[in-house]
Amino acid sequence: MQFKKYIGILFFSSCSQYLVAQVESDTLKTSHLKEVIVTGTRTERSVATLPLPTQIITGESIRKSGLSRLNEIIQEQTGLITVPDFGGGEGIQIQGLDAAYVMVLIDGQPLFGKSAGTLDLSRISVNNIEKIEIVKGASSSLYGSEALAGVVNIITKKTTTTEQLKGNINYKLATFNTHDISTSFEYGKKKIGFELFGNYFKTDGYNLSESNFVQTVEPYSNFTIQPKVKVNFSDKVNLLLNSRIYNQNQDYKSEVGTDKFRGKSKINEWNNSILLNHAVSDNFKLVYDLYATNYKADEYLNDENNQLFDESNLNQWFYRPEIRSHYKIGKNKLTTGIGVNHETLERTYFEEKVNLNSEYLFGQFEWFLKEKWNVLVGFRYDNHHQYQSQFSPKIGLNYKWNDHFSLKTSLGYGYKAPDLRQLYFDFTNSSVGYIVLGYNVAAEKLAELQSQGQILFTNGYDFSNSLKPESSININFGGYYKKNKLSFDYNLFYNTIENLIDTRAIAQRTNGQNVFSYFNIDKIFTYGLELNGSYKLNSNFSISSGYQYLIAKDQTIVDKIERGEIFARDPITLTSFRLKPSDYFGLYNRSKHIANIKLNYLIPSIETSINARVFYRSKYGIFDSNNNAILDKYDEFVKGYFLTNLTINKDFKYRFSAQLGVNNLFDYKDENNIPNLSGRQLFTRIQYQF
Amino acid sequence: MIKSNFFKSVLILSVFSFFTSCSNDDDNASGTANLETKTFSNLYAPQTGGMGAPVGGEFTKFSFSQNAIVTNDSWDIAFRGTTIIVNGGTAIGITDEPTRTGNGAVSIVSNTLDAVTTIPNASTFNQDGASTYAIPTGSGNGWYNYDGATNIVTPIAGKVFVVKTHDGKYAKMEIISYYKDAPANPEATSLTRYFTFKYVYQPNGTNF
Repeated sequence: MQFKKYIGILFFSSCSQYLVAQVESDTLKTSHLKEVIVTGTRTERSVATLPLPTQIITGESIRKSGLSRLNEIIQEQTGLITVPDFGGGEGIQIQGLDAAYVMVLIDGQPLFGKSAGTLDLSRISVNNIEKIEIVKGASSSLYGSEALAGVVNIITKKTTTTEQLKGNINYKLATFNTHDISTSFEYGKKKIGFELFGNYFKTDGYNLSESNFVQTVEPYSNFTIQPKVKVNFSDKVNLLLNSRIYNQNQDYKSEVGTDKFRGKSKINEWNNSILLNHAVSDNFKLVYDLYATNYKADEYLNDENNQLFDESNLNQWFYRPEIRSHYKIGKNKLTTGIGVNHETLERTYFEEKVNLNSEYLFGQFEWFLKEKWNVLVGFRYDNHHQYQSQFSPKIGLNYKWNDHFSLKTSLGYGYKAPDLRQLYFDFTNSSVGYIVLGYNVAAEKLAELQSQGQILFTNGYDFSNSLKPESSININFGGYYKKNKLSFDYNLFYNTIENLIDTRAIAQRTNGQNVFSYFNIDKIFTYGLELNGSYKLNSNFSISSGYQYLIAKDQTIVDKIERGEIFARDPITLTSFRLKPSDYFGLYNRSKHIANIKLNYLIPSIETSINARVFYRSKYGIFDSNNNAILDKYDEFVKGYFLTNLTINKDFKYRFSAQLGVNNLFDYKDENNIPNLSGRQLFTRIQYQF
Repeated sequence: MIKSNFFKSVLILSVFSFFTSCSNDDDNASGTANLETKTFSNLYAPQTGGMGAPVGGEFTKFSFSQNAIVTNDSWDIAFRGTTIIVNGGTAIGITDEPTRTGNGAVSIVSNTLDAVTTIPNASTFNQDGASTYAIPTGSGNGWYNYDGATNIVTPIAGKVFVVKTHDGKYAKMEIISYYKDAPANPEATSLTRYFTFKYVYQPNGTNF
């Protein structure tokens, strides 16, 4: 999978509010007051009283920005950083924790398909999104593995049962020969509603490198089709069928010395869910939820004689039946659920298809103690067959100081199961000759290598106990203030992750290279402060701003520096010197400061609104440059930078609207360090609704 | 990876190294200043095989007292690719291994080269043996880190080898580069298996 990104694209909307800008801003104002979130508890909760740090990206703000892939939207949010990884994907860093620890859901269902540990967010078109809900901090008590740093839930437009045919079509043209076409239709009868969304996206990619053969982002195209059906059997029973089909094709090229290779990489994804809601009584509701998804990635390279040089394949299936119940006792709510996960994966470098199975149950109680207090307690137990089972508790507390201000605190446990690569990999590096073995197959494979006389000696590791999941403790302490035109929230957070999985040499081959496997080794911690505020000066002008301060470090490194065991080598004099504790900068790819400011200005007389956003990210490191494998203050850093995005929205008569925008207005680029920053992109877009 | 703010860093680090150089000079004024810190550059240690095939080829043998590559039994340590062996102990069992005739050993210390002034405790010295390296092999284990993404081998800063030579003398050494002419920022295309190391040889004493 190649790196692909940031091509400014289309966006669009199937929202009728879009037409009249004045209505938009009023809607925005009122919708904030009764902002509801479902991701934190799987029940509808007001943001103000929920004792968890949350963030909501409204469909309205997505439309106004003119952006259209999820990665572009995410990186405009306070405290969220999109990080490119070697596999080509771009994941989300939350509270300083890696993208691998963030669970991404579409309409509450998990997305799969991580070939190098990161789920690529650009796969998701945001054109039919109602809103994006983000819950920060460990959420394994509801969602199980991976919901360690947080959960991002993309909520698409709800299907309505109105008798009118509604729809829209829009087209966006952007720099790098980027085209994006979206359309949606809605139609319903009394008892049935139908919606179809389609998106086609195509770009030439871009090149920041000096090579004129291999581009930074190769040309690619993709389409998304999302049909939805809603059937109301009665007032008490309804059925929702959601499907998503995604297909992407990208050029794939490689240059090894003077040899040039060409090929293609393909992604096929399919998500399907059936949801049956049954209101048994006024106080008791059951949800039957069946979800299945398949992610397939295939790529190949041919040499100049068109002979196959290299290929790799990945085919992942996931099935999950789940039953949830919601029981109301006065104002209080008891939620319980049971389910089964079944996952299979076939891929290059796995000897055979692997299966992961688990059963789970969860429970949660939302307790509105008194007028001013509410408590959230929850737990989940996952009975895993392939690694250690997990119990994940969580507790949250909200205190309503007065009508405008509430205090929130939460404490939770999160975990991430070893990924299938860490359990089942069987990889031999063809150019250097080292071997990487998954933990669950290492003992057997090693014995096999030994019997073939390939092993010089082993380092005596024992594989009899299962590999442990990476696990975290997360603490948040924050507050939420809202009065008239001002809203403000803050959150202090702390995370510590234990049993981080890393490789260790388990044996040496006769060719001098090592055999590696995965072990629970490291311990890291992150802490910081997040601030968000918004203010509406008048009905035409609003401003919002956010800031995050972050420290993220490896505890093992901190300890070693304190013991005086870590040195750095001056690259010029090649002399080593001992590091002091204050010299340690922390983990790679973490900025101490990130900030944003967003302005929205409406000129009613010409029905035009201007939306400007400025982002700042302070310096961060992506590699060690002084021979100690850690990031210290003498290393080379990626410079801090500002980005500015600007969008102008204009409404015309006859249901037309148009948009003109520029991303990265000042054309900031760092060719060597930030491959996902393409430089300035202009775009224009036109939409028609019917 | 090429770094855009390279020159700025060079400047900063040059300034920094100016200060550290000064302090090093001060340290050296403590009585062993007659010992000379030598730098041996571009000791070429090729190997055959690799790329998945069995590794072989002659080790490049080095003598501290002669400050030279040697081909006889007077060697103290020997190099082949990233593998380093000592002239002491018994055969590890790898191909083309030279016969050990001396009583050499090595103790690995985390420190700057200048700050190692005494010989570590005898129990910290190791010799090669059957399936055991005195200097552990592999990324992060012995003297280097290997970055699988860039294919660069980086000598770990502050890994000092106190070597007991084949004839029972001592030397302290730090490997500073694995690439020809010790470039500050080696690239994947830099010529590899060229060791540059700094060392101090102590012909008659147990202090540096």
